[in-house]
Amino acid sequence: METLAALLHGFEVAISPINLLWALVGVTLGTAVGVLPGLGPALTIALLLPITYKVDAIGAFILFAGIYYGAMYGGSTTSILLNTPGESATIITAIEGNRMARNGRGGAALATAAIGSFVAGSIGIIGLTFLAPVIVEFALRFGPAEYFALMVLAFVAVSAVLGNSTVRGLTSLFFGIFLGLIGVDLQTGQPRFTFGLLELLDGINVIVVAVGLFAVGETLFLAARHRYGQDEIIPVRGSIWMTAEDWKRSWKAWLRGAAIGFPIGAMPAGGAEVPTFLSYFVEKKLSPKPEEFGHGAIEGVAGPEAANNASATGVLVPMLTLGLPTSATAAIMLSAFQSYGINPGPLLLQNQPALVWGLIASLYIGNVMLLVLNLPLIGLWVRILAIPKPLLYGGILVFATIGTYGISQSVIDLVLLYLIGGVGYLMRRYDFPTAPAIIGMILGPLAEQEFRRAMQVSQGDPTVFLTHPLSATLLAIAVLVVAAPQVYRFYRRNRPPRD
Amino acid sequence: MRLPKAKGQVALAVGVIGLAAVVWHQTTAIPVSPIYARIGPTVFPTMVAAGLFVVGLMLLWQALRGGWQTEEDQDQSPVDWHALGWVLAGLVLNVALIKPFGFTLASVLLFACVAHGFGSTRPVRDAAVGFVLAGGTYFGFSRLLGLDIGTGLVERLF
Amino acid sequence: MLLDRRLFLRSALLGSSSAVLLSRLSIPAFAQSLDSLKLFIPAAPGGGWDQTGRAMEYALKTANIVQNIQFEHVPGAGGAVGLPRFAGMRGQGNVLMVGGMVMVGALIANKAPVDLTQTTPIARLTGEFEVVVVPPQSSIKSMQELVAQFKQDPGKVSWAGGSAGGTDHILIGMIAQAVGVDPRKVNYVAYSGGGPAQAALLGGHVTAGVSGWGEFAEQIKAGKLRALAVSADKRIEGIDVPTLKEQGIDVELFNWRGVFAPPGIDDKQRQALLDLVDRMVKSDPWKQELQKRDWTSIYLSGEQFAQYIKSETDRITAILRNLGLAA
Repeated sequence: METLAALLHGFEVAISPINLLWALVGVTLGTAVGVLPGLGPALTIALLLPITYKVDAIGAFILFAGIYYGAMYGGSTTSILLNTPGESATIITAIEGNRMARNGRGGAALATAAIGSFVAGSIGIIGLTFLAPVIVEFALRFGPAEYFALMVLAFVAVSAVLGNSTVRGLTSLFFGIFLGLIGVDLQTGQPRFTFGLLELLDGINVIVVAVGLFAVGETLFLAARHRYGQDEIIPVRGSIWMTAEDWKRSWKAWLRGAAIGFPIGAMPAGGAEVPTFLSYFVEKKLSPKPEEFGHGAIEGVAGPEAANNASATGVLVPMLTLGLPTSATAAIMLSAFQSYGINPGPLLLQNQPALVWGLIASLYIGNVMLLVLNLPLIGLWVRILAIPKPLLYGGILVFATIGTYGISQSVIDLVLLYLIGGVGYLMRRYDFPTAPAIIGMILGPLAEQEFRRAMQVSQGDPTVFLTHPLSATLLAIAVLVVAAPQVYRFYRRNRPPRD
Repeated sequence: MRLPKAKGQVALAVGVIGLAAVVWHQTTAIPVSPIYARIGPTVFPTMVAAGLFVVGLMLLWQALRGGWQTEEDQDQSPVDWHALGWVLAGLVLNVALIKPFGFTLASVLLFACVAHGFGSTRPVRDAAVGFVLAGGTYFGFSRLLGLDIGTGLVERLF
Repeated sequence: MLLDRRLFLRSALLGSSSAVLLSRLSIPAFAQSLDSLKLFIPAAPGGGWDQTGRAMEYALKTANIVQNIQFEHVPGAGGAVGLPRFAGMRGQGNVLMVGGMVMVGALIANKAPVDLTQTTPIARLTGEFEVVVVPPQSSIKSMQELVAQFKQDPGKVSWAGGSAGGTDHILIGMIAQAVGVDPRKVNYVAYSGGGPAQAALLGGHVTAGVSGWGEFAEQIKAGKLRALAVSADKRIEGIDVPTLKEQGIDVELFNWRGVFAPPGIDDKQRQALLDLVDRMVKSDPWKQELQKRDWTSIYLSGEQFAQYIKSETDRITAILRNLGLAA
């Protein structure tokens, strides 16, 4: 009851015309930066920090929250239409989403992404409103051993994107892990695979790799078979909107995505991409039509999109309850608090109730705004696919360049993007799946760091992974998920059917 | 007809083994655990090198035994060097010119080259579209966010 | 000359459009007079150096010292990517780089081809001391108890902090040295960013943690973390935590931030920048910024600062060497 009263008060704050305007500016700007690969919400908010000198705290935070949220919507739009992920959490969306778009189902893919984001975002905000203290307590129980087990479980998702051949899928995976290991090792400060380049010390941005492998690689591939092969893009086939079957296949995926995304997002070291991998895997396993995956299965868009939005809300849980910044964007938002002389910490909610509840209320409002903004735009967006091919592919490459060079102004990053594009071309040409490389690049270093932290704390005792109940449970689930289908198949083969 | 394709696959498999060798070599260059670390910085890289080596060998074996089916095999199409050449030229020009001549000009050239590679015969229109796209983005970045994404010849005119 | 002109025009472009027009028409090609200033940040927007730069921008503009201020960010490797670029701005008298102690360590550990002594140090501005904490449920109640356990079996005490070779790691190395433990035996668990490290402490997954005071202050005030010692030189007003020195550990460490000019500027240019920073530090808006952001002023300028940079570089090189991170 107390919470409800506080939330109502928050709505009073958020619904003032000026704050509504900030929310609208925020979600619009957020959508725009989400669309551009590389330019994410963290950098945008950082660049807008000087605004804190001119605008009151509530207005500024409503603006920032809108950017944060809007970026998630915008990121999926380019993933689906152009195979150019704007944010790392929307990379997985590109796998099924872009297939759908090329088959004339772009409208449905965008719709399920937008509605799924809305549904999952709303569930996340409700969770943030009522469950934050419980979730935080659970999340803090995750230490290095538990996180390692979580990463192992997420690795299982690779099996869903292996493609036609395990060997080629694993090649892609190892290549991705290798890319992920480039840079200074956090635990010992030693440079790895930097080949003497200072620019590589901080590692390679996963967006550069995703855009290189997906967008640049695909463009090169299509150019190479331009005169001979046929590259068919069907802008719209059938209804632009979701069909009854699409709804039926989407709604469960949304709910499952939210259930996976929110708690993992709330974990201080959970990572925004991990829930999207898990959601994709779960949807493929549970789908009545797993054979459609890889060719444009709508669940493969609905689930991960829901998961990434719920996870984005989850990140706010430790931030608002404990003052813990657990993502780059959260860290920048916390530094914005400081420029108002507000010290974010466990007492934030007690000391600044109007601000916190106003912010939470603005999330409800921003989410509705985004849905209202995005749904009518779908008709316009899908027309991008009707652009003549010379201009479309020219645009995609310029776009990829903006995202890479615009952020770092580093020619080395640009060279990397194109080189990885070349690798992407070869992978396409010789039928290597690209998704395992992305998963390996993201999960590899996470798993490595957590594994080494756990071993460090336990002083080299590997049994920690099994003596911690949570970690043991997660590992057991991972083993079951991998082994159960094999065991099942083995039994089926060795036991003749009864009738 | 099978031989040339398998040749490419053999080369690719050798490339993967080569990458494994590079990873292995670079791993030995990482100073081993100068500080107290139970699991040092070379353990995972070693695993990656080993993994790449094993899959590389398996690919080589498959390639030598006739190769695997790819999407390309069905239509037997040769590479369209004309189109690919133009796209690659656009990328190379972009990398070479973006520092000295600025973001907009380099992007317009990239756009025009790619469009030409994909069969456009209207270079002026392409350049105009590219200019609007790149110039618009440039000013969006520099005005709205105060981020300099590469000022050059064209940008200074405004 | 051409370079200056390009730089000037580039910076003018980013200003407001009317200012662009006016300045392009009226100001000659050289931009030595300080009606415009560029702040070079060798890190991404949003970090500590960027924040320092933003606070400077606010103070300089509000106090009417400089109106036209641009930023250039070259992030990477704790400043090791940006510094060579900055060193290349030889002789330019209207650029200031924001940097700090982290950079000294990063340059050494990353074997960067240049170091801070190759710039023209202008002034040290602010500093933050570090704090040693344990989880609230820990049986360790004081620094003495922590040190006793640490000396008995260094491997058993796991310390959470930022990246290896960073400020937190350096402080632990200094503590180890001071209490007679081999710094290479420190069981250090590195985290990227304060959030995950704090979470590991709050969840009781590590024995102790080290970070900047600001990062942990609110948790300590709320009783979620127990502070054992701070690395300040003397007791800080309003903070009820003893210093390391008070507890018999002869260690002090400030994570300082300061500004630098490019190498090769002449005395007139250097004096102009010294004056500019001096006016800023003494201005009210700067003082308000310090208070609002909880930054401690440890202003030191000119030759004294240059000396300080030299001694810090030597001191940190020695510690990193003992930790095994520098040759």
